[in-house]
Amino acid sequence: MKIEPLQTQQVYRKNKGFLESIHIDGWLLLGVLLLLSISIAIVYSASGGDEAVMTRQIIRIGFALILMLLFAQIPPNILYIFTPWIFLLGIIMLISVLLFGQASKGAQRWLDIGPVQFQPSELMKLVLPMTIAWLFAHSKFPPSFGHLILGTTLIAFTGSLIVVQPDLGTSLLIALSGLSVLFFAGLPWKVIFTAFAGVMLSAPIAWHFMHAYQKQRVLTFLTPESDPLGSGYHIIQSKIAIGSGGIDGKGYMGSTQAHLEFLPESTTDFIFSVLAEEFGLLGVIGLLILYCFVIARGLYIASQAQDNFTRLIAASFMMTLFVYIFVNIGMVSGLLPVVGLPLPLISYGGSSLVTLMISFGILMSIHTHKKLLTK
Amino acid sequence: MPEHLEFNSDSDRFHQKKQFRFRLYIAFIFTLILFATLITRMAQLQWVEHERYQGLAEGNRISIEILPPTRGKIFDRNHILLADNQPVYTLKFIREKMDNIDSAALAIQVILNNIDPKRIHDFFKKFKQKNRSRSYTLPFTLSEEQAAQFSVISHKHPGITLTARLKRTYPHGASAVHALGYVGRINQQELTTLDPKAYRGTDIIGKSGVEKYYESTLHGSPGIQQVETNVRGRILRKLETLPTTPGKDIHLTLDIKLQKFAEALMGEMRGSIIAIDPQTGEVLAFVSTPVFDPNLFVDGIDHKSYNALVNDPNRPFINRAINGRYPPGSTTKPFMALGAIENNFISPNQKIYDPGFLAYKNNRYRDWKRTGHGLVDMNKAIVESCDTYFYELSLDMGIDNIHNALAPFGFGAHTGIDIHGESRGILPSQKWKKETKGKSWYRGETIISSIGQGYNLTTPLQLARATAILANRGKIIRPHLVRSHKTEALEQIEIKKISNWEKVITSMENVMHSKKGTAQEHAQHLPFKIAGKTGTAQVFSLNAGDYDAETLDKKLHDHSLFIGFAPVNHPKIAISVIAENSGSGSKTAAPIGVKVIEQFLKMYYPETFPETYPEEIPVKKREN
Repeated sequence: MKIEPLQTQQVYRKNKGFLESIHIDGWLLLGVLLLLSISIAIVYSASGGDEAVMTRQIIRIGFALILMLLFAQIPPNILYIFTPWIFLLGIIMLISVLLFGQASKGAQRWLDIGPVQFQPSELMKLVLPMTIAWLFAHSKFPPSFGHLILGTTLIAFTGSLIVVQPDLGTSLLIALSGLSVLFFAGLPWKVIFTAFAGVMLSAPIAWHFMHAYQKQRVLTFLTPESDPLGSGYHIIQSKIAIGSGGIDGKGYMGSTQAHLEFLPESTTDFIFSVLAEEFGLLGVIGLLILYCFVIARGLYIASQAQDNFTRLIAASFMMTLFVYIFVNIGMVSGLLPVVGLPLPLISYGGSSLVTLMISFGILMSIHTHKKLLTK
Repeated sequence: MPEHLEFNSDSDRFHQKKQFRFRLYIAFIFTLILFATLITRMAQLQWVEHERYQGLAEGNRISIEILPPTRGKIFDRNHILLADNQPVYTLKFIREKMDNIDSAALAIQVILNNIDPKRIHDFFKKFKQKNRSRSYTLPFTLSEEQAAQFSVISHKHPGITLTARLKRTYPHGASAVHALGYVGRINQQELTTLDPKAYRGTDIIGKSGVEKYYESTLHGSPGIQQVETNVRGRILRKLETLPTTPGKDIHLTLDIKLQKFAEALMGEMRGSIIAIDPQTGEVLAFVSTPVFDPNLFVDGIDHKSYNALVNDPNRPFINRAINGRYPPGSTTKPFMALGAIENNFISPNQKIYDPGFLAYKNNRYRDWKRTGHGLVDMNKAIVESCDTYFYELSLDMGIDNIHNALAPFGFGAHTGIDIHGESRGILPSQKWKKETKGKSWYRGETIISSIGQGYNLTTPLQLARATAILANRGKIIRPHLVRSHKTEALEQIEIKKISNWEKVITSMENVMHSKKGTAQEHAQHLPFKIAGKTGTAQVFSLNAGDYDAETLDKKLHDHSLFIGFAPVNHPKIAISVIAENSGSGSKTAAPIGVKVIEQFLKMYYPETFPETYPEEIPVKKREN
């Protein structure tokens, strides 16, 4: 009846469908749901038809989807306000993990009641890039020298807190997610190339400070056949699984490598090998195309974002996702050393899934909470 | 993004957006290139080299079997087995190889008639949903007879295999549990510190006592066998083998018979008995009561039993021998007396008058004997355990001289025994109080320190060690539980006058054998001489919050203490006894100590006893 006051809004809402009204990006959702369906199917096969394992994975996926939906409702400017505080909280938790971890040594823990644990480093995967983005959102691109120094200091500090846990792999990946923000913020190419050369030159020094098991991993990576009974075993078996899959694979539930238990961690870190064995090269290409689609959509969302903060986090989240995919597949196919890292959205397990789905939620929020720009 | 931060002009904004998009393109191209690398890699493995890997996968395969090492056994000093590995049988199931799960379940329920059929039913219910090709182990063990019964019908049930493994067992049950310790499943925390190679195939580890301290000796190292299996996983032939190195056996210094004898003497009481060979430091008996059964922990203890043990008000988990911190009470007096006469604070014959108390700064420090001991010399002070004598002495010496006199006997320091986690106890000094309490020392505190009260706290092991050092006439020893344990050469306490030592020891002999001695009634019948000292420690430093009202009274009773060694001139055994809340030292702890000494000498030095001496010493079960 009272149409007139609503007219202006109607113009604005003209193109809004149902999904957009609940702040969901349809294309992104489609890609993610396809990947999650693959996850359920492969986890079931890799576990040798273990219904309990599959049920748990479905429950986790449901939970993660709800989290994604919730985070999609939070407008980016709210995230912007909370980011530095959550970062502080995360740092405090990382420090207390170090202190508490030492205090609990030697305790009688073999009666552990349930695996209730929380990893602050998981939180940091999201919060560190958001914090760097928050920092750079204050100034225009490219950021000033002072901001760059402050940003790298924060990255190095967070990374070093995780390195001493000790968890070198996670620490490097989190640092990388922070550094990707520097890249998108317009870090000069000169600096990028100089830093890259510096890292190459300092590799021998890093080698000197590595733990024995880390050195072992690198050595095994270089020549897996040198230790066929030890750490090289994983890689050899994984390569057999992938290679024996051929072009079109052995068929669903046909992974003999996983079912005869030659393949270690077949539902978690090495799940890609099971997929490659059962669906062959075609399946692998299909999966990579799907990943590419999700990343492309994410980067598109970044390109459409309206301010520096949301641009940077959207782009950085997608780069992090890409790095995880690349490192996992590189690892199981013998291109990269063994680092305990799950395949994003596919591996069995909860914590990495939750983090990823939250990042997709944030991406959707960025895309669906846009203001009308007054041009 | 708050409005006030959007300070950029439109052209700036446009420029930034352009630059950002350029970087996005670069990132996306980078992504595509690396994905292409991955696809190239996959094509190499799955297309170019496919046949090679196909051959590896389809033909014979190499898999690895870990051969876990056998854990070393533990024996007592006379080669009696204390920790053994016993074969136990269990069943393993692989779902895809089984024809009829329900009939197999029924057959197993019939054979395992000692187990609730419902638990077996539950196992199979879960099993049906598990991985089809993986093997699952029945969470129960089969007796040898049950294993034989199963072998008879096993041909009817493919997919089920009977397997044997070795399980740690402690044939003497709870006896000596605090020395021996126990093994249990490796927990998450331990996993992070263990060498994963050495512990492949092993799921137990020493959790306490000797089992923990000597873990590296007992564990050994696993062997590895490469086996070729066919596509169904059956072993075709065995290839390379890296042999297993079994863990080494260990001989303890304990005598399990003496140990059990001593444990029986403690009955229901809480406390500790330590017997040491003073010449070598070998621990002959290591009692902490109450005890618990280590066998419960080997395969993981159930919550109910664990909670019962944890919540037991008598705290069986506490290793009282090394972690029980007790006021030494009057057992400290011989050491005090020796310190005083060696450092010329008093001569042994000098007498002090005891009216039954010492008056100091408006306070009366009472002797246990209200009427007083009259004129007291050093001998009488030890024999009758006169408090006032030591009160006077302490005011002359001061706390730091007392500390310096007692420290060489090992009070307030780790004994260095070969099990983890011993307490230091407290031997107070001015410096100690300043550092830990931040306050200065009061002389009144010196007075109560002189009779082993106040801040003084000692573990039963420290007390036994100090007694052994006294018995040795100053030769310091390090108590140890494993015979091969090498201890570095330890020095001797500096002796100023050996007759001083003999005088103190003679006084301790008089405690046991003279008419007025506090423990004379227990040692009169012996054909050898004991030097001893009783102690009755007040429990005034108790944290009342730890106790419920019902048991409060009992818990505030005095601790009963005894130290002693025998024979006096050639000591073969030194001992400390502490019985919590059991009244005076002469009533409870002294007779226990005497009996343990007597039993030990009968076992190892029968020539000490005349032929008419009664064979068995009756062990009375005490009712607390």
